[in-house]
Amino acid sequence: MRFRQLVITVTLAWLALFVLAPHILVLLTSLLSPDTQQLASYPFTMQSYTRLWEPVYASAFWQSFWLSLLTTVICLLIGYPFAWTLARLPKLPRALLLFLMMVPFWTNSLIRTYAIKLILGAKGLINSTLLSLGLIDTPLQLLYTPFAVIFGLVYILLPFMVLPLVTTFSKLDNCLLEAARDLGATPWQRFVQVILPLSMPGVIAGSLIVFLPAMGMFYVSDLLGGAKNLLLGNIIKNQFLVVRDWPFGAALSITLIVLMGLLLWFYVQANRRINRQGGLDDNAL
Amino acid sequence: MITPFKWSLVGLVFVYLYLPIAILVINSFNESKYGFEWKGFSLRWYEKLWHNDALMQAFTNSLLIATLAATAATVIGTLMALAVYRYQFRMKKLATGLLFVVLMSPDIVLAITFLVIFIVLGIHLGFWSLLISHITFCLPFVVITVYAQLKGFDRNLLEAARDLGAGEWRSFRTIVLPLVMPAVIAGWLLSFTLSLDDVIISTFVTGPGFEILPIRVYSMVKIGVSPEVNVLATLLLALSLILVMIAALLGRVRRKW
Amino acid sequence: MTLRAIVSSVLCVLSVAAHADGKVVVYNWAEYIPEGVLEQFTEKTGIKVEYSTYDNNETMYAKLKLQNGKGYDIVVPSTYLVSRMRKEGLIQPIDHARLTNYKHLDLDLLDKPYDPGNQYSIPYLWGSTAIGVNSDDIDPASITGWADLWDEQWRGKLLLIDDMREVFHMAYKINGVSTNTTDPAQIEQAYEKLKTLMPNVLVFNADAPREPFLAGDVSLGMLWSGEASMAQEENAAIEYVYPSEGAGFWIDNFVIPAGAENVENAHKFLDFMLRPEVAKQAVEEIGYATPNLTARDLLDEETRNNPIIFPSADVVKAGEFQEDIGEEANALMNDYWEKLKSGQ
Repeated sequence: MRFRQLVITVTLAWLALFVLAPHILVLLTSLLSPDTQQLASYPFTMQSYTRLWEPVYASAFWQSFWLSLLTTVICLLIGYPFAWTLARLPKLPRALLLFLMMVPFWTNSLIRTYAIKLILGAKGLINSTLLSLGLIDTPLQLLYTPFAVIFGLVYILLPFMVLPLVTTFSKLDNCLLEAARDLGATPWQRFVQVILPLSMPGVIAGSLIVFLPAMGMFYVSDLLGGAKNLLLGNIIKNQFLVVRDWPFGAALSITLIVLMGLLLWFYVQANRRINRQGGLDDNAL
Repeated sequence: MITPFKWSLVGLVFVYLYLPIAILVINSFNESKYGFEWKGFSLRWYEKLWHNDALMQAFTNSLLIATLAATAATVIGTLMALAVYRYQFRMKKLATGLLFVVLMSPDIVLAITFLVIFIVLGIHLGFWSLLISHITFCLPFVVITVYAQLKGFDRNLLEAARDLGAGEWRSFRTIVLPLVMPAVIAGWLLSFTLSLDDVIISTFVTGPGFEILPIRVYSMVKIGVSPEVNVLATLLLALSLILVMIAALLGRVRRKW
Repeated sequence: MTLRAIVSSVLCVLSVAAHADGKVVVYNWAEYIPEGVLEQFTEKTGIKVEYSTYDNNETMYAKLKLQNGKGYDIVVPSTYLVSRMRKEGLIQPIDHARLTNYKHLDLDLLDKPYDPGNQYSIPYLWGSTAIGVNSDDIDPASITGWADLWDEQWRGKLLLIDDMREVFHMAYKINGVSTNTTDPAQIEQAYEKLKTLMPNVLVFNADAPREPFLAGDVSLGMLWSGEASMAQEENAAIEYVYPSEGAGFWIDNFVIPAGAENVENAHKFLDFMLRPEVAKQAVEEIGYATPNLTARDLLDEETRNNPIIFPSADVVKAGEFQEDIGEEANALMNDYWEKLKSGQ
């Protein structure tokens, strides 16, 4: 009894103080009027929200969306077999490889993004190698392109896809696979009907913690893409810092959160439907 | 079965992950100030870093915050995941929603909301404000990871424990916790990484007395690729690899026992 | 007995003295103070320096505003922010009587419209924005003005500085209007002109614009004077061309926030930075120009006569200093800037 109450209280208290309260403040701010002196002031108004319909912002949203979606899909395509292979290993080599995968990320993603520039640049590693091998005449334009941005985003977000998948796979009961094999299922059937559905929680978890942060990561696009695209993160930063229209910046943020919430809701509902069809029990989420 | 195809995939992924690192390490020994050309082997940047007190201080501060934040976030986050998975309570949907709100809020928004709440609550900007904000943005990652593992959990085990008279805390400690350990560790690793890397939120909530590494690196690297940063990266890499080797050896020793 | 009394009283006095010297909290652009200067300052005065950095004016301004001007003793905003901060009461007047080295400053750079009489700011470094050319790839003589950047042959090849005031400056000068205009019609005209430039852009960069030049990714684009002089040290082929329509000029200034706690120490710090030897070091290491006349004489000939760092009076006259344009014009410009960046 006491443990349960403690757990619930800690949960609610922390969230209320450091998440709910600040976001309510943001919501309130979005309803205020812009003010050059105090950043935001009375009276309350909806004017910030009406500005959202301008094409600039819709375009920024779609840019961010497609970029994040592409990144998530690529992370999934690479991460899924990678996690599967890792999970099949005995405990020690698996833990070792996982650690080795995380180690680069403790050397600061910003420095590594700069290092990527040295790989993709006109005098960078790839171009120098291709030139010296005689495969190309002039350097390829790899840097400051969408390719470079995806390269960088996947680079930073891959472990966030792999880790949840590995934990899910490691809990996968081998007996189920053997049973399927004994019953005559082909590898493809085993994959589609046994492995895939059971790995869904991991896939969802991984996709979420890749897609959502990717929507806000404008600095990779700035550094590797040449800052030629306007992403939502750029706009929000501009509104808060350069234009100092805090109500509008707040409105943009709230809208982004709400839209992401909707996407999330659709994804969860779709997944629930898949699971129900597959006969799996799905409760709390 | 692990086919050669799967092994080559794993190998390729590691090459992809480590190539930029390799460049950093090589450049830390590069005489040239910029990394574009190799101008000779040199240890001068290592020397420079050794004398750079401010950078070393920032480095230590970052490690401290990252360790504390990761640990706290893992503890609180695991409890949260447990609460969402196991218990029914009135504001459950709200709690889950709030966790996702943190995940969905862009860094810059979180940064400003944190700053505002700290000012309102009168929390001094520095170590504590940094720690609290880091713990908060790491929480959803821990919760999602642990929750995903809890979902594959056999409820019958808990039922059996309760029938046998075990209290909540006991069944948590002896049954749930060992089984979700992989996810808890994964959550810690994720949080540690996130904390070490964070720039935008830290810029806003930290005070002048407490510089942390990502901010210093951010400034230095933007102005002109300061090579001491490459040295730091190399040292961090070496340190992490040593830790990994120690952990591996410990694992092997324990198994022998 | 007496020995212990003496020792303890000496320790007492020393500790009081240590506290009395105190500290000064400085918030500056990264790598904008030459190496060793902070240590020299502490050695000479006993005052500890708590140093933190930012990478753009806006972050600094936001932080200061949210804390009501408290938390820092010295901050280094650019020209256009000084007048705004002054109007909003975020900075306090500087007592020139306490600055013994004030006399070294160049009168031409003082008493400007953004801060008459320099009541609130002391200039630290100044510089220009012009065109960078890699002479290995492009003949510098063929580039004479901003308008040359619009040429079709540079499609997808240019570097522009990622700052809306700097980029708009080019269009303003080509259109023949002031870079500090607040006229919505003129701002719109500039936007129309810039729309045609966008296909030529390869990369926007506001951190270290010299880096893509040195990496060989671009051979032509906008560049700051300090960036250019530092780039030249690494690769002599990189040249700096002042556009005929007029370069952009700006000054970075020391100010004391209104809520500063260590005002006395802040003045001591300012006075130290005004020393000619310190200013000389700044030029040599950071590559921008110093307003400190005495320091200029201390520099070696090559640096003193370097037109990149110290442009001729004609060039300065042809150009224009950036100043505050007010919130409305700022917001309008930002709208156009976002449209440009999102391909509209």
